[in-house]
Amino acid sequence: MKLLSFGLVAALTLATPAFAYDGTNCKAPGNCWEPKPGYPEKVEGSEYDPQHDPAELSKQGEALTAMDNRNAWRVWHMKQSGEFEYDVTKIPGYEEGGTPPAE
Amino acid sequence: MQKILSKAKSHVSPLALASALVMGTAGLQPAMANDQLIELAKDPANWVMTGRDYNAQNYSEMEDINKENVSQLRPAWSFSTGVLNGHEGTPLVVGDRMFVHAPYPNTVFALDLNDPGKILWQNEPKQNPTARTVACCDVVNRGLAYWPGDEEHAPLIFRTQLDGHIAALDAETGETVWMMENADIKVGATLTIAPYVIKDMVLVGSSGAELGVRGYVTAYDVKTGEQRWRAFATGPDEELRLAEDFNAPNPHYGQFNLGTDTWEGDAWKIGGGTNWGWYAYDPEEDLFYYGSGNPAPWNETMRPGDNKWTMSIWGREAETGEAKFAYQKTPHDEWDYAGVNVMMLSEQEDKEGQMRKLLTHPDRNGIVYTLDRTNGDLISADKMDDTVNWVKEVQLDTGLPVRDPEFGTRMDHNARDICPSAMGYHNQGHDSYDPERKKFMLGINHICMDWEPWMLPYRAGQFFVGATLSMYPGPKGDRENGLGLGQIKAYDAITGEMAWEKMERFAVWGGTMATAGGLTFYGTLDGFIKARDSDTGDLLWKHKLPSGVIGHPMTYKHDGRQYVAIMYGVGGWPGVGLVFDLNDPTAGLGSVGAFRRLQEFTQMGGGVMVFSLDGESPYTDDPNVGEYVSGEDA
Repeated sequence: MKLLSFGLVAALTLATPAFAYDGTNCKAPGNCWEPKPGYPEKVEGSEYDPQHDPAELSKQGEALTAMDNRNAWRVWHMKQSGEFEYDVTKIPGYEEGGTPPAE
Repeated sequence: MQKILSKAKSHVSPLALASALVMGTAGLQPAMANDQLIELAKDPANWVMTGRDYNAQNYSEMEDINKENVSQLRPAWSFSTGVLNGHEGTPLVVGDRMFVHAPYPNTVFALDLNDPGKILWQNEPKQNPTARTVACCDVVNRGLAYWPGDEEHAPLIFRTQLDGHIAALDAETGETVWMMENADIKVGATLTIAPYVIKDMVLVGSSGAELGVRGYVTAYDVKTGEQRWRAFATGPDEELRLAEDFNAPNPHYGQFNLGTDTWEGDAWKIGGGTNWGWYAYDPEEDLFYYGSGNPAPWNETMRPGDNKWTMSIWGREAETGEAKFAYQKTPHDEWDYAGVNVMMLSEQEDKEGQMRKLLTHPDRNGIVYTLDRTNGDLISADKMDDTVNWVKEVQLDTGLPVRDPEFGTRMDHNARDICPSAMGYHNQGHDSYDPERKKFMLGINHICMDWEPWMLPYRAGQFFVGATLSMYPGPKGDRENGLGLGQIKAYDAITGEMAWEKMERFAVWGGTMATAGGLTFYGTLDGFIKARDSDTGDLLWKHKLPSGVIGHPMTYKHDGRQYVAIMYGVGGWPGVGLVFDLNDPTAGLGSVGAFRRLQEFTQMGGGVMVFSLDGESPYTDDPNVGEYVSGEDA
């Protein structure tokens, strides 16, 4: 019985810190996260390291840049011609990644 | 390749006429689109944007249909979009026309309200079907936007496409005026949001946080499609477009450098925070409001930090896109409580009797927040149901939620009985505010969950979730039988009290509409449109629709007669099991188990059903309307 009680207390003692994060212990305004006990402050190098590939992380930004560039050509062409052309390869002077001529 | 079925034959467009009338009422000065939209919305006959007007109240002053006669509502006419899958949002009505959107392939229809059996035009874009494979939760679309035109440009209808395009259509002919790329499906970005017109700009959000898409909102010039500005939810301050006085009235919310400092390394580049919900706008403040969604991945252990500024209520200046304030509701989200829900604007006296301009937002996390929309002050934060358990309270002075660690999630742990579930106690439904009763009519989910995270790598264009979910009815539902998954409630943001509340068999997913006739309308997933007494919640009328509802009702007047319309078409996140024939209860991000009984009550279909008193319509007024007359259909 005594052993059981000790085990129970020990389990609770160990369990309590693991449940401690309540979000109100702030390092600075708007920066209140803290690791749950037993979990790392930083995941890099830990067993929870997502091992992000920088090339994969860059793909969204590259996609946005490419889309914005094509859109800029479409806008330029419509302003020049009064006609909308979606297919940028049909726009005179279009170069992939190039900037439309100044108006 | 767009398909134009036919063009309107009238010499003077009703839209042009409406615009001209607005111009006339505004005086000799050319009216800005804002002014025209405001004037058009003042006429209760119209429904010119998804929330009816810039206040996003989904409220109509019309009272021809009221408590006394609502039992006489009958179907007047209907329209099938020809598309299955979930139909979210609601149609627009401007003058004599109704504009109807549809899920992928996102065909837009213009109907003639004088003869609704006549499709004036339809525009079906050719899309890359791969878009369907990166859509998170069915292939839904939330609606259209209308720009009233000016002296040189005809009125426009704006449509988002699942494949990431924003298109401007001539409202008169349906022809595509321009189409721009806004999201790239190759990196998992899609578009489901209803576009939103402010001034001569159209705002577009983003979807794809379940694939690690970093969220952004973009403004395009309505006339040319040229980008005016873009603002992200995560990353460096200049890309967030923070104003110099950002959060100055509430510095405890956090101010600068947090879009990177609250992430580890470059995780903010794949950190989610997309915005695919609804916008509202205050022309006097020139501020528009919306919510950024969940951080990515769902597995919280993989992304230490508060993950700003996902899960935030934003107030941005429309002209520049600069953020005046942001309040993060769920720092370091652990439950997918994506914060994109509706922002309803009202003016009410606070508890001290001071009249304030308010913004009320029923969040996924089960809290209804009310802010002063001029500066972001937190006025109230109430649990929308007493069974919310992830949070003990929200401190009004700090704005911080006091989390209950028992319901936190983490790797190597299966968290149980978390309420609400990832679907939230409130999701994308566009709810309503009744200014006479000072009540918000809330359509609510009553669903809880178990949550077990797992590790996965980020690969652009692939799902990036990292959690297995089991969902089931909340404590007030019937867990054994998988029913009792929803509620409808009338909420007072000043007192924090619910005036009334009723249980529903399934989630009230689509939202509500309130009217001066004392009625609250809404649709149910099992396929009913219902009208309740706004004072008591008593059920006064209902009608069984061909399919379940995940959109919100609207009302309009034509030829002196009030109609109520609603889109039907079960699907969306709660319907993915039914739509895609899934059986694993954890499939559909946990939705399949929660809604396992849905197929016993409804099946797929898609369209608009319109009601009037006694079912009167142009066709009952004159059965010859729409009849074949030799030579006239040529």
